[in-house]
Amino acid sequence: MHRRRFVTLCGGSVAMLAAGLRGVRAEPFVDFPKVRLVDAAGAPLKAAALATNDAYVFHYPLRSFPCFLINLRKPAGEPREMTSEALAYTWPGAVGTQKNIVSYSAVCTHELSYPSKEGSEIRYAAEASPLSGKPGMIVCCAHDSIFDPAAGAPRLHGEARDPLLPVRLEYDPAEDAIYATGLAGTWLLDRFLKSYRRQLIAEYGAGVYKEPVGATSAAVLLNTYSGGAVSTC
Amino acid sequence: MSECINRRDFLKMGGAAVVGGAAVTAGCASAGPAAVSAGFKAALPKAKGPRLVIVGGGTSGLTIAKHAKKEYPKFDIVLVEKRDMYSSCFSSNLWYAGLINLEFLADHSFLDAARNNHYIYFNATATGLDRAGRKLITSEGEIDYDFLVVAPGISYDYNRIGVKDEDTIDALRTGYPGGFISPTEHVTIRRKVQEFEGGLFLQYVPNGNYRCLPGPYERACMIASHIKKNKLKGKVLVLDANPEITIKKDGFHAAFKELYNGIVEYKPGSAITGVDLAKKTVKTEFDSYRFEDASIYPGVRASTLIEHLGLMDAKSPQKEALISQLKYNYIGDERVYVTGDSRPHPYSKSANTANTEGRYVAKVLAARAQGKDITWYSPRTVCYSMVNANPPEAISVDAGYVLNKEGTAVGGFSPDTKLFEKRDAAKGRGTLEWARGMYRAMFEG
Repeated sequence: MHRRRFVTLCGGSVAMLAAGLRGVRAEPFVDFPKVRLVDAAGAPLKAAALATNDAYVFHYPLRSFPCFLINLRKPAGEPREMTSEALAYTWPGAVGTQKNIVSYSAVCTHELSYPSKEGSEIRYAAEASPLSGKPGMIVCCAHDSIFDPAAGAPRLHGEARDPLLPVRLEYDPAEDAIYATGLAGTWLLDRFLKSYRRQLIAEYGAGVYKEPVGATSAAVLLNTYSGGAVSTC
Repeated sequence: MSECINRRDFLKMGGAAVVGGAAVTAGCASAGPAAVSAGFKAALPKAKGPRLVIVGGGTSGLTIAKHAKKEYPKFDIVLVEKRDMYSSCFSSNLWYAGLINLEFLADHSFLDAARNNHYIYFNATATGLDRAGRKLITSEGEIDYDFLVVAPGISYDYNRIGVKDEDTIDALRTGYPGGFISPTEHVTIRRKVQEFEGGLFLQYVPNGNYRCLPGPYERACMIASHIKKNKLKGKVLVLDANPEITIKKDGFHAAFKELYNGIVEYKPGSAITGVDLAKKTVKTEFDSYRFEDASIYPGVRASTLIEHLGLMDAKSPQKEALISQLKYNYIGDERVYVTGDSRPHPYSKSANTANTEGRYVAKVLAARAQGKDITWYSPRTVCYSMVNANPPEAISVDAGYVLNKEGTAVGGFSPDTKLFEKRDAAKGRGTLEWARGMYRAMFEG
């Protein structure tokens, strides 16, 4: 996708959000430029080497939009239809030889809490958390939301009305490589850019925050990314 | 780490309000307002759909304005708010200990909220109501409505501390504000804390279902943090009208004991029965206490506007509204609704409750505007309390509610209610992010 078309797409959907009023609307997956996930040093990320005790944070499709990559401890569920107040789409399921690698926006669909370098209220709790009481959940402690990443990340508890937004992955078994190729709609991306515009300009620079991430995106464990200041609920 | 709140705790927490809620079905309306005309129309664009007028730009009103439009785009919504500058009551305690600045509380524009969510912000004060003619009277003229939501919050009730004369009430309100209604109170309390050089700082906790149940205890912790950090020769005396800390008691007791030993003195069962401001003294049943400075939270009632507009349940102990527990409409009038902290429900009077309740009421309004109905569901009370400022550490509760066996009124906490009373830095960060999320929930689209 050309940069111009990419920016136009984002701009258009921002306008749609501003003018639109809530209601279920079909949002099929939106293709974004294919991005290979790499480690912090830029080396290709190997699926077989992924940790299972924490989520990885990477940015996609824009430099500022954070997503989770999670290596579940068990195979994820089958692809399924997802509906909520804002979305209707098919969650494509997991990738990898064990079908246990999934990816979602790291931005909570309730009130947009997301991981920053200063800390994170949203996390993947591989072990049972005090809030969820069971392992393998994504919890957002800002307002106590729980999502199940093995089933398309529907909301199990809390005030969020929408599942976490899935990121479509592609797995290359020959190289054990992982790629991100699209998002289930752009409403959350639009809302994120609008809500945090001031902060993102300050952090990345005017216009820079909405640039495409490039050919690769570094995936870093959340605890490292957020300096150890991760929620515990 | 966490525990469930039982029914007994629930009744202790909101006992007075439960009585008020039960009275709704047998309640009686107060006298209606005397003035029912402003004599001129408000300068507003012509309504382009069913006009929903909302009085009050706090958490409840802002949430309903936003979500009613999302639920039913044909609504033409006018938010009537007497303030021209927003500043939140929630999180204000954190300011006293320097954990946030005023910008954190106040950098949120009514204009942006209206623009982002496609409604009109009308800067005026509601003064009267003509329900028969469906007109709201304001300081800036009359507004015709199809549906009206009144969400004016609370007023203080100084009768609860044995003070009835207007001179003393004014002196208390001015000199020792409760700090749970207006931003100017917050500014005064912050000055008091910063100017405190020693002695006894009195924080009073009223009885009844007062706004922000853990708020007075949290404030005691924030002032104590300030005293501790600055090595002042002073302490915070928490006089509590209740027999025990009303919510998150283990977390607060742990903080008092482990962080503020000798700095916080907690005295339960100490209802103030009178004050002598000349001597800077308060009296309880058995004792009197001289204070250097104070924040005296006298107890609450529904906003006096509820009474003035003729929407009060005359039998309600806290003068709350005579409304349906499940649908929020004034009894006998499905065009008029009361929400937020003027409600008679035994919910915690908190921002998170008002926000989640507001989303439900928006659905009620949308349904009724279309001749439909919806099923009741519970609001949620997610409430953090900062107990340490150095470093920031907090405790929290996540509560839901269930109806009674008859399904007619709120009867207790839901089984999934949890307390998180072990203070830590993660919840300290969560306290701030919770508030940021609330601002986004009210002001952004």
